Amino acid sequence: MKLKEVDRTAMQAWSPAQNHPIYLATGTSAQQLDATFSTSASLEVFELDLSDPSLDMKSCATFSSSQRYHKLIWGPHKVDSKGDVSGVLIAGGENGNIILYDPSKIIAGDKEVVIAQNDKHTGPVRALDVNMFQTNLVASGANESEIYIWDLNNFATPMTPGAKTQPPEDTSCIAWNRQVQHILASASPSGRATVWDLRKNEPIIKVSDHSNRMHCSGLAWHPDVATQMVLASEDDRLPVIQMWDLRFATSPLRVLENHARGILAIAWSMADPELLLSCGKDAKILCSNPNTGEVLYELPTNTQWCFDIQWCPRNPAVLSAASFDGRISVYSVMGGSTDGLRQKQVDKLSSSFGNLDPFGTGQPLPPLQIPQQTGQHAVVLPLKKPPKWVRRPVGASFSFGGKLVTFEGVKVPTPQGAEQQQQHHVFISQVVTEKEFLRRSDQLQQVVQSQGFVSYCQEKSDASQTEFEKNVWSFLKVNFEDDSRGKYLELLGYRKEDLGKKVALALNKVDGSNVALKDFDQVTQSDGEESPAAEEQLLGERIKEEKQESDFLPSAGGTFNISVSGDIDGLITQALLTGNFESAVDLCLHDNRMADAIILAIAGGQELLARTQKKYFAKSQSKITRLITAVVMKNWKEIVVSCDLKNWREALAAVLTYAKPDEFPSLCDLLGARLESEGDSILQTQACLCYICAGNVEKLVACWMKAQDGSSPLSLQDLIEKVVILRKAVQLTQTTDTNTVGVLLAEKMSQYANLLAAQGSIAAALAFLPDNTNQPNIVQLRDRLCRAQGEPIPGQQTPKIPYERQQLSKGRPGPVAGHLQMPRAPTQQYYAHVENPPPPGFIMHGNVNPNAAAQLPPSPGHMHSQVPPYPQPQPYQPAQQYSFGTGGPAMYRPPQPSAPPAASAYPNTPYVSSTASYSGHAPLYTAQHPTSSPTSSPVAAFPPPSSSGASFQHGGPGAPPSSSAYALPPGTTGSQNGWNDPPALNRVPKKKKMPENFMPPVPITSPIMNPLGDPQSQMLQPQPPVPGPLSNQASYPQPHLLGSQPLHGLQQPLSQAGVPTAFPKPNIEGAPGAPIGNTMQHVQSLPTEKITKKPIPDEHLILKTTFEDLIQRCLSSATDPQTKRKLDDASKRLEFLYDKLREQTLSPTIISGLHNIARSIETRNYSEGLTIHTHIVSTSNFSETSAFMPVLKVVLTQANKLGV
Amino acid sequence: MVSVINTVDTSHEDMIHDAQMDYYGTRLATCSSDRSVKIFDVRNGGQILIADLRGHEGPVWQVAWAHPMYGNILASCSYDRKVIIWKEENGSWEKTHEHSGHDSSVNSVCWAPHDYGLILACGSSDGAISLLTYTGEGQWEVKKINNAHTIGCNAVSWAPAVVPGSLIDQPSGQKPSYIKKFASGGCDNLIKLWKEDEDGQWKEDQKLEAHSDWVRDVAWAPSIGLPTSTIASCSQDGRVFIWTCEDLSGNTWSPKLLHKFSDVVWHVSWSITANILAVSGGDNKVTLWKESLDGQWVCISDVNKGQGSVSASAAESQQNEQ
Repeated sequence: MKLKEVDRTAMQAWSPAQNHPIYLATGTSAQQLDATFSTSASLEVFELDLSDPSLDMKSCATFSSSQRYHKLIWGPHKVDSKGDVSGVLIAGGENGNIILYDPSKIIAGDKEVVIAQNDKHTGPVRALDVNMFQTNLVASGANESEIYIWDLNNFATPMTPGAKTQPPEDTSCIAWNRQVQHILASASPSGRATVWDLRKNEPIIKVSDHSNRMHCSGLAWHPDVATQMVLASEDDRLPVIQMWDLRFATSPLRVLENHARGILAIAWSMADPELLLSCGKDAKILCSNPNTGEVLYELPTNTQWCFDIQWCPRNPAVLSAASFDGRISVYSVMGGSTDGLRQKQVDKLSSSFGNLDPFGTGQPLPPLQIPQQTGQHAVVLPLKKPPKWVRRPVGASFSFGGKLVTFEGVKVPTPQGAEQQQQHHVFISQVVTEKEFLRRSDQLQQVVQSQGFVSYCQEKSDASQTEFEKNVWSFLKVNFEDDSRGKYLELLGYRKEDLGKKVALALNKVDGSNVALKDFDQVTQSDGEESPAAEEQLLGERIKEEKQESDFLPSAGGTFNISVSGDIDGLITQALLTGNFESAVDLCLHDNRMADAIILAIAGGQELLARTQKKYFAKSQSKITRLITAVVMKNWKEIVVSCDLKNWREALAAVLTYAKPDEFPSLCDLLGARLESEGDSILQTQACLCYICAGNVEKLVACWMKAQDGSSPLSLQDLIEKVVILRKAVQLTQTTDTNTVGVLLAEKMSQYANLLAAQGSIAAALAFLPDNTNQPNIVQLRDRLCRAQGEPIPGQQTPKIPYERQQLSKGRPGPVAGHLQMPRAPTQQYYAHVENPPPPGFIMHGNVNPNAAAQLPPSPGHMHSQVPPYPQPQPYQPAQQYSFGTGGPAMYRPPQPSAPPAASAYPNTPYVSSTASYSGHAPLYTAQHPTSSPTSSPVAAFPPPSSSGASFQHGGPGAPPSSSAYALPPGTTGSQNGWNDPPALNRVPKKKKMPENFMPPVPITSPIMNPLGDPQSQMLQPQPPVPGPLSNQASYPQPHLLGSQPLHGLQQPLSQAGVPTAFPKPNIEGAPGAPIGNTMQHVQSLPTEKITKKPIPDEHLILKTTFEDLIQRCLSSATDPQTKRKLDDASKRLEFLYDKLREQTLSPTIISGLHNIARSIETRNYSEGLTIHTHIVSTSNFSETSAFMPVLKVVLTQANKLGV
Repeated sequence: MVSVINTVDTSHEDMIHDAQMDYYGTRLATCSSDRSVKIFDVRNGGQILIADLRGHEGPVWQVAWAHPMYGNILASCSYDRKVIIWKEENGSWEKTHEHSGHDSSVNSVCWAPHDYGLILACGSSDGAISLLTYTGEGQWEVKKINNAHTIGCNAVSWAPAVVPGSLIDQPSGQKPSYIKKFASGGCDNLIKLWKEDEDGQWKEDQKLEAHSDWVRDVAWAPSIGLPTSTIASCSQDGRVFIWTCEDLSGNTWSPKLLHKFSDVVWHVSWSITANILAVSGGDNKVTLWKESLDGQWVCISDVNKGQGSVSASAAESQQNEQ
């Protein structure tokens, strides 16, 4: 097939094989004239650009030469290593001169392109050849039997190969032997060929058939066989190519008689010794196998003769032919079609046929046996025999299971190139490259079989090189030990025993605890009677206790004084005696008697308690308040969500201690997710620990992948070891179905199995491949592994082919017969039973359940919320539960009834305080405290007033299930805020609850997380989180719940998410909540009936409206939540003032002062108001005003600041 | 370690040009200059000749197994300019389709990832690449890329099926829209990447230039879940390049020289896990290469007649850097 053509009547030379790109040099041919009779000559260089489909060749440079050429060759002399254009162009001129050109200079357009020239020859130099072994040696032949050997390094003085042959004759051809470097052959038109040995400096053999008809136009040595050469004859009477073997030089070895007329040129392919090109006066270009004589190829040429033909040394399929019609054509022997692109050239070519008559005979040369071109659809066939360069002799291909299939060509043993009968083998080999990986995988497998997890983890932990790695293994190990949570805590640095000691040290009255315990029992018993007397007794005792401080009276029936003096105690007493709990609480709060306040609030009813708790937390700004808040509210999620990430250990510890088993994993997850998404790189890796605690394999994988590069087999091994162990742990600790495999894990496990398989460990790969999964990639891999094993393992069923078979050309119509979309169809069929495997991190929204969107709870920003709405069992649940990569907090939400419907159901009270749900469950952590059975004596759980305020924490409806205060009464009469929890209890973070006595090692310092600007939500905070549906709801007076629950449910649907609706595991910690709930209903019923507020006297009503109006104005212009919160708080605390106004207990001076303030507010003169305020405070009884005056000051200050 | 587990005497009467195992690694297909294609059952170290397929009229260059979901199907290509698709039907192998659309030797056949359907790419010395798509009922649709590589395409290799932007959420309810791509190498010293556009037409997507002689083989590495695409190429010039593309658009490919051999390199083949490259050269050498941690490609094994040791340096030194 023709590739390129150039309209030149020229000799040609390809750039040497080393050169890239490929160039073709042309030099104007001597002894020929074109129609212009121009005698000008030029040397040109063209680039062979095969990426250009056109027939044109790009001319790189033209050099106008003074003479024309008989021969042009391009030697690789001094070709640089880069293979840039270099070498030497050697031209044989008309006048016996040899010229050396620098082709790179020609291409560069340089004027000085001649390296050297020498005109030692007497006639035209028709023969030139470069020695392949010493590229500086060039042989030349000319008239008069002149043969010179030129050294390009010393061009001035050529050598001769020996004495001139006689009689003198033209030397038409010259060629260096291809195997032996000092052998040279020359041939003349007389038909004789002479072989020279340059070492001997004489001709060693003369080859002639004595026919006198061999006019040698071509001479070529066999590329491979040193003793063989071919001679071509120009004579029409003997248009043959003779193949000679010098070992039998009497007659030709073979004669190729394929041309009808004389042969003008031959070229033997260096790439394939079975390809010999020849062109003749029959206008044919033939490619024959000189070893057999067979014609392999006939190039489609025009009717013109070719006088020069050259193989491209670099591109073995390419040859060039120069024809007398003034054209150089570049062909490929690989066939191909002449498509439309070339039609133009074809037309041009055809039109040029008829006109040209190079010899002026008036007749075009007769076309001889030339296949006519059949128009533009002409197909050019390739060589009959595939050339050597396309016959791949060797190959190595990988296949499944780490197998390598190889075959190698057998070196041809005989020089004849005849293939002998040989064994053609294919080797199937097993490639194992990851020995360490296999060893560790093997070890892991053994561990799984032997169940020796603890020791394995221990070993791993011991062998760990980093602290983190060590931690991970320690955490994993804990999973297999008893009391895993306790051990986790220890790993986090919270050792029960240590803490116990610390607590004991911290408490100065260790002995008192026993007494307190006793007292507690007694008091609660008496309290059980619920008589007003008993209550008063309690109160009284507390008052007395406060007054007398350490003078503790153990007897519940002891006498005490009731002081009614004017100080705060007195006021409290008065308030109590009048049943005004609210005032009493306020007084206590004001006086910083937090414990008293809370105790009183408990008596004052749930609402009051809630408010009081709120106030307490608002007031108490200590660093651990948040923690206490969380403990009281059981709102672990708050801690987890809003703790400073530096305190992740503490948060995790808290969760470990308090969280219920079923919410525990999600909390751990939450913390882990925060660490991952918000933390720095170190914290991100720590998230792994959280996930280990949570038993969340999928997230562990995700987190680990983030932290590790994970691409090498060993780092995958690192991950898989952990994952496998963790999965085993989860299987051990949880009876639920843990076989479901998440997308990410599936991916990693199949990657792991793939790696194992790639190392040939197919059985191991099968063992590690997770069961019970529909993940397509795993199913497919399993199928592949099973079949690769060759024979089914006993007891292991070969799975069905996980593919729906595509039938080929059978009767059954194709899926989308005859349609272009067909490629899609098999895809669908393939995955007919399973969804497409979601790539890692890919969430399949809506794919499974298109209705999902409709069920989404209104929770924008929580992309995971589509999980819970699926009420039906989801086969693809694992794929949807997790989301990675979006950077948002990847919350894990266990399936549960979605929040909105639950909220709407609240008014009907199907849900009751969750505290109740714990009653009746067996103890989990504190079985050693028999007194803690709450159902048997609910009242006993109520904390005695004598136990100081501390126990309020456990009395609230929000008491955490794990709170153990009821199991053992807290300590003593000790310090106001002191905690005396029994050391035996699993209460690690307790020390944080001692704001004054102890500083927590690392305080939780994150900002308040609740939207405190909303007074209502603030009020609701203490409410128990999501109540679960319970059977014993009937025992609850509904109104108490109804007041707030609906709001709660609506406002905080998400915060309830972490709380499960059912509580599967027995838990003593939760139990005390229930009786308290009951108790409180009773206790509360009394005061709520008693307290009926009087109206504020009309003349003072203006105070209330003014102050409230001011607060409202402030609120509307305040922007930051802090201020809003303050104002809200103030608004509430001013109730104290209004109460006092109702009671008319304020002194006239204060009243008038307040009116003055109100007036100054009216005039917006807040600074005046503040002055009046200062005056009132300084002149009045502090205890009388302390409950509200500071608040009023706050309001005034804010108003002044905001300028409302 | 590279250890021979099975030596199959193919009884081919001439050079073997290709040997490929099926998807499961249980059957071996070979082809030869003796114009035949043979299939052996090589399970458990055996070598049972299942089929001796005759039909080509020239040397058979390559064989390719289709994914088993389409049945037992083998494609072969030959110097006779034909591609033949063979199929096992009731235990016997028969020609099910013959593609004669090329004007010269068909040098390479490669099945597309099964996710796309049954599609075969064929590269020919006529410079064209044809794509045969099974459309059901025994019909094959042919698309042809003319002048893909002047004077010949030597190799074709499909890109693994990867959904573009697989980390990004797909619109719900839609099948993943694959972008079909394959690489080809040819006598124009080029590697070309081809992409199917929305109209189902194949367009040249990239042209990778680094080789200075015929590209003998290209091998697109299997996907191992990383966003990087990798192609190995080998050439007459003795060079093996590893091309990588990190960007999602697939436009920036950078070559890294694996090694310059002293002789033509005929064939490159990735391991299934894409971490080892087998290189077979004209000097009858088979070598295994692996990328070390610092990104250099290291020869880990010389394989001679299926035997070789694996040097520990590259393979085992990858200790956990944690």
